[in-house]
Amino acid sequence: MKAELVLMGKRVDMAPRASRRALVIFIYAGLAALMAALWFADRWHASGYYMIFASLFVNWLFLGGYAAGGLIKPFSGKGPRRVPQPPSPLALGLRLYNPLPEDRDYRNDERELRQRDRAHYLAYQALALCLVAVWMLTSLQRNVPRLLSFVPVSADQLLYALVLIAVVTSLTLPQAILLWTEPDMEESE
Amino acid sequence: MNTSPQKGPGESGLYNRIAVLRAERGISRQELADAMDVNYQTIGFLERGDYSPSLKLAFALADYFALPVEAIFSRRPFQPLSQQVYGAGRSISAQKIKNDMEEPQ
Repeated sequence: MKAELVLMGKRVDMAPRASRRALVIFIYAGLAALMAALWFADRWHASGYYMIFASLFVNWLFLGGYAAGGLIKPFSGKGPRRVPQPPSPLALGLRLYNPLPEDRDYRNDERELRQRDRAHYLAYQALALCLVAVWMLTSLQRNVPRLLSFVPVSADQLLYALVLIAVVTSLTLPQAILLWTEPDMEESE
Repeated sequence: MNTSPQKGPGESGLYNRIAVLRAERGISRQELADAMDVNYQTIGFLERGDYSPSLKLAFALADYFALPVEAIFSRRPFQPLSQQVYGAGRSISAQKIKNDMEEPQ
């Protein structure tokens, strides 16, 4: 896990657990607000895809795990593919080029692998809860649809929301659990 | 460098002397981590006893410090090294003097 985040050229210290927890709360509050806004925009007819893009963007910028950027090292332990040719002079001139860290900086050691597996186990439980809710909803819809008549949204929309939450959870929750649970990071000296 | 003696075995249930050995040899966490091919945070977790290493890592640490594994990790609290090196001899001498004094002339 990296100890700092670079946002708009500014370094943000993420070594304290409190900072990382604040970031996790901020991210999920943002995703929930986006989901609510997309509901009001078009009842998630086409805009539901934006939630997936937002999750991937959050991974790339903040969380990592499934992206080369972010705080958590790639779960695969592999860095991004290196481009053999040197960066263009334009990219260098505009300072758009950042040298990639060494491959070893992407590799997870044995403790990090253990923590990664534990985080996925915990995230799997949350995902299983979402799937149980999906199953219960479809079961009610098929067998006793009158029970769902009290819900202000249609069963299809509710189902879509649950599946969307499950997808966002599967993309972001393991990294969020790691950021939430890892203690304050110490100095290397 | 934090080398204070640990109060308990931490989450791992293992006591260890890594912090003492590291301080004794003037090695930083980063240097030890580089030698072991792990993250420096992992060295901190090991020192606090919050992580029990794999056999591979335990033996790598033993090789690095040129000590047997049981000199670095233990399920029971360690005696301070100074007491182990000097304390035993002193207590034997004290016992011998006491015995000599009690012996009838």
